[in-house]
Amino acid sequence: MNQIFKLKISEAKLLRDMANAISILIDEATFKIDEEGLKLRAMDPSRVAMIDFEWPKTIFEEYECVSPSKICINISELLKLLRRAGKSEAVNLSLDEKTGQLQIVVTGKYKRSFTMPTLEAVEEEVPTPKIDFNVKAKTTTQGLSQAIDDAQLVSDHVRIEADSDKLLFIASGDLMGAKITLQKGSETLLDLETKEASKATFSLSYLSEIIKAASATSEIATLEFSTDMPIRIDFQQAKQGKLIFFLAPRIETD
Amino acid sequence: MGVKLQQIVPKTSIKLENLSGKIIAVDAYNALYQFLSIIRQPNGTPLKNNSGKVTSHLAGLLYRTSNLIELGIKPIFIFDGNPPILKKTEIERRTKIKDEALAKYEKALEEGKMEEARKYAQATSRLKDYMISDSKKLLSLMGLPWIQAPSEGEAQAAYLVKKGDAEYCSSQDYDSLLFGASKLVRNMTISGKRKVARKNIYININPELVELKKTLEENKITFEQLIDLSILIGTDYNPNGVKGLGAKTALKLIKEYGSFERVLPHLKNNQIQFEYKKIQELFLNPEITDDYLLEWKDVDFEDIVDFLCLEKDFSESRVRKALNKLQKGTKESREKMTLEKWFK
Repeated sequence: MNQIFKLKISEAKLLRDMANAISILIDEATFKIDEEGLKLRAMDPSRVAMIDFEWPKTIFEEYECVSPSKICINISELLKLLRRAGKSEAVNLSLDEKTGQLQIVVTGKYKRSFTMPTLEAVEEEVPTPKIDFNVKAKTTTQGLSQAIDDAQLVSDHVRIEADSDKLLFIASGDLMGAKITLQKGSETLLDLETKEASKATFSLSYLSEIIKAASATSEIATLEFSTDMPIRIDFQQAKQGKLIFFLAPRIETD
Repeated sequence: MGVKLQQIVPKTSIKLENLSGKIIAVDAYNALYQFLSIIRQPNGTPLKNNSGKVTSHLAGLLYRTSNLIELGIKPIFIFDGNPPILKKTEIERRTKIKDEALAKYEKALEEGKMEEARKYAQATSRLKDYMISDSKKLLSLMGLPWIQAPSEGEAQAAYLVKKGDAEYCSSQDYDSLLFGASKLVRNMTISGKRKVARKNIYININPELVELKKTLEENKITFEQLIDLSILIGTDYNPNGVKGLGAKTALKLIKEYGSFERVLPHLKNNQIQFEYKKIQELFLNPEITDDYLLEWKDVDFEDIVDFLCLEKDFSESRVRKALNKLQKGTKESREKMTLEKWFK
């Protein structure tokens, strides 16, 4: 059996959390795989948000890629299979060249082997948005999630503002309002670099889903934004892994 | 009717959501005909107001368009102007089909055959002048842009795409490809559940994307050859084409000999009744206009309610529900930005 790649990851949880974070934006994910590692860059169907993901081969316990390829898989189907695996069970992934089937083998208390089809890969390459960021804020993902939860109580969008010493989340709904202040150097806001005071408004449904899902993979998030520009959120990963989201702003009309 | 290219055109199934944020030039006549033929009562009678005027087209425009706009899609409706003289035969042929269908419809109704009646009724749809002016009025009140094409609506729609004012054409027909549109969406205005003709079952219709570049690449032909191929199989300007030729045979011939002119001597039936050069010219240089404004305005709530509920006897609660969707969508697409703006 000719295999395009053979990967082994020692903890199913890692893979499951990552698949979950990806599934927030996309159903069918086209990965690039080569000798160096696994990459994915894609936008959600409405092109409001983008994910930039990379796992170098060092993340894996075993890593073998015969020829660089693109593979497309239905990520929510994969997630269903991974949810069946215990947290610390090992997962082997391999792709059969002839059948185009992805094989997922979960080994723990007992051995389970699943196969799923791969789909036609998307050829379109997504570029990186070109933005000059004026604010860079380093937060705990836990604190960030809390702030988003607070804002979501009153509205479906939030304005994120920063000056030299604080980061603000301001939400105003039809009736209620909320203002969350993160002070520089506090437990939640670890660092803040502000070139120019900035503010931009974002959809809370996107922000909340992204932050919730990505927080499972990361303790620290770095937010970068400028006035009325997309926000970049970099969720710090172990072993040079990369998980970055971009989210386009909303224009406030009222 | 449009040119019959189904067999050689590659199609990709897409979701309506994929069109969110996109500006789409909609072939208005094509959409309105669809509404008139689909939106009918079980026995085939179209929706009418209390004084007997047909309102199916308005129901389609309001409800379907509101759904599209709720998804962030930005349609521009493009209305046909005067048909090119070359289209005369095709128009006569369509009128004849409709007259025949009407006779069969009335007979089926008399005999109480409802399914039959519905089948024939769908083929009787005629777009009357009052329907066009009603439609334009409703679109304006909905705050949507519409364009009066000087001649063929599809040519004007393709022009908008070429110019970059719209990203896609929307029509059931493939003709906008022949007018040079790079991307065409089919099924956009009818996606969702649709009744299967003559059967009591419903299927889900998804929009499909047709790309000019892909069509040419996969068939290994040029744009001019696609036009020649279409003339061989028949267009609105030479409805029967060259007798006996389908898309696949025509493709083979065009690839073998290179152009319509060079294919012709190799055909048995090479006595053609049409001026192919004029047809080529119509597709390559159609009559179009730059005289249009693309503005998305606020929804005129009360005027729409007055128009549809008082004049056209629509249910006010349904209309208001659709208008809420429309207003929410209009506001949303004004506020929402996509990342693409920052890729440049």
